[in-house]
Amino acid sequence: MKNALEKFLKIDRRLIFLALTVLLFAPIVRPLGLPNKNLGKDVVNTYNYIEALPERSFVMLSLDYDPATRPELHPQAVALVKHALRRNLRVGIFTLNAGATGMIEDIAARIPKDIAPDKVYGRDYVIMPFQPNPVAVMTQLGINLYEIYDKDRNGNPTRDMEVMKGVKSVKDMGLGICITGTAMLDYYVAYVADKYKFPMAGGVTAVSQPGYGPYLQTGQLKGLIGGMKGAADYETLINDLEKGTSGIDALSLAHVLVIVLILTSNIIMLVLKYL
Amino acid sequence: MEFLGNTWNAFAAIFTVTPGWMTFGGWVAAGLTICLFSFLYKDNPFFKVAEHLYLGAGMGWLFQVYLFQTWKPKVFLPLMEGQYSVLIPALLGLSLVTQFFPRISWVSRYGFTFIMGYGSGLVIPLTISTDFLKQIGGTIAPFMVSEINSGNIISLLNGTFVAFGFICVLFYFFFSVEHKGAVKKASNIGIYFLMLYFGAAFGNTVMGRFSLLYGRFDDLYKYSAPEYFYATHVVLGLLVAYFILDKLVLSRRGGGQEAH
Repeated sequence: MKNALEKFLKIDRRLIFLALTVLLFAPIVRPLGLPNKNLGKDVVNTYNYIEALPERSFVMLSLDYDPATRPELHPQAVALVKHALRRNLRVGIFTLNAGATGMIEDIAARIPKDIAPDKVYGRDYVIMPFQPNPVAVMTQLGINLYEIYDKDRNGNPTRDMEVMKGVKSVKDMGLGICITGTAMLDYYVAYVADKYKFPMAGGVTAVSQPGYGPYLQTGQLKGLIGGMKGAADYETLINDLEKGTSGIDALSLAHVLVIVLILTSNIIMLVLKYL
Repeated sequence: MEFLGNTWNAFAAIFTVTPGWMTFGGWVAAGLTICLFSFLYKDNPFFKVAEHLYLGAGMGWLFQVYLFQTWKPKVFLPLMEGQYSVLIPALLGLSLVTQFFPRISWVSRYGFTFIMGYGSGLVIPLTISTDFLKQIGGTIAPFMVSEINSGNIISLLNGTFVAFGFICVLFYFFFSVEHKGAVKKASNIGIYFLMLYFGAAFGNTVMGRFSLLYGRFDDLYKYSAPEYFYATHVVLGLLVAYFILDKLVLSRRGGGQEAH
């Protein structure tokens, strides 16, 4: 008995990888449809803030994530673009991360297809080119954004676009949302939100989510979407289930495996020590 | 100039996204993902190839983004239009490259001086305001007279808990007083608050890593479809065959050595 328990503690870790692979892969092949009933408070706050914005308000979406964090952050970005455009808000997509341009291409291709086919580029939304040096860009966003964003990503002048009507700086925008797997949201809080009294919300990876608690407590951030769970919550709120929600099945099963392994190994350790 | 433009256009036309290129992209993506995951079984040459390709492709992507979305519109085109003022920031930026040439590396100081001065001026006042003063304000806010008068007991209790934890954690990081007596007790309580944070952070980290893994599996499932000619199945099968062959060869070599 004791030998068998000791043997279990020295199990080949590759077997755990295999079990994890099976548990994560199975719901992709055959979705279980586990419910997502516990919606995060900060996600709901983000949703409510957008819901409360007057029609045709300008929302700045700064998509600053790269392929490394795509599974967590891209569903968040898609859900936010859907919500904002369906609420008849104007959307400006910005990026200060060179690696994000590919993901923005994906969103740009999807808007006329399935996100909001009735919306027109230049009238309802605009996509700005990548700009380096985030701090300099953020400072300029609060003064005159045309000093940097005088042309969109296709080289068209932005000043004449209907979507930019009445928007000279962040002071003329309704909300800014930064989706990032880096410290870009911290920069936005310091250089844009606090400096220009501009309402900001964020979308971050699950890893960095707890670190933004202080900004939420002080109201420096109006809301926060964290990881794939946050994306699933947002998809539930806008009633349009996509990649975030389908990942919940896999995450739930994987978490059950981790809990079972932690409990089992701790019980075995106790048995070996005291019995 | 026209010849260069035409040559470039002809070259770029080869890479116009077609269904064929998309299928090829699926094979590359599935192949590189499985090659990188193969390290979980054991180190192998396919993992090393994928690792180096990842770094190279990443740098290539960043280079072209900076070239076409920054250098071209912000430096090259303004210069062509006679706006020579862009030369000042461009030369300051280029001065950083002199770091690679020891004889003239001193020139890079001009660029760095600008970055340091500009960066410090922006960062210091805003960081003090955002991460220091506002956080102190946020901790005190629940105890304001207006908040207490509103009778929100939950908010008051929450605020008390946060403020208590905040002070205890500060004691833990305060090294100018010997940690004994009441200070030691406060410091020990601070450790529990820190552990609560680390526990939450670790739980979120696990969830985040699983999400990333799920994302890759989701793509692998996509590339296992007939329109991608079963890329995932084929690559996985080939890699498994390699490991079996490798094990057979190794065991034969090992056996041979034992015989000697």
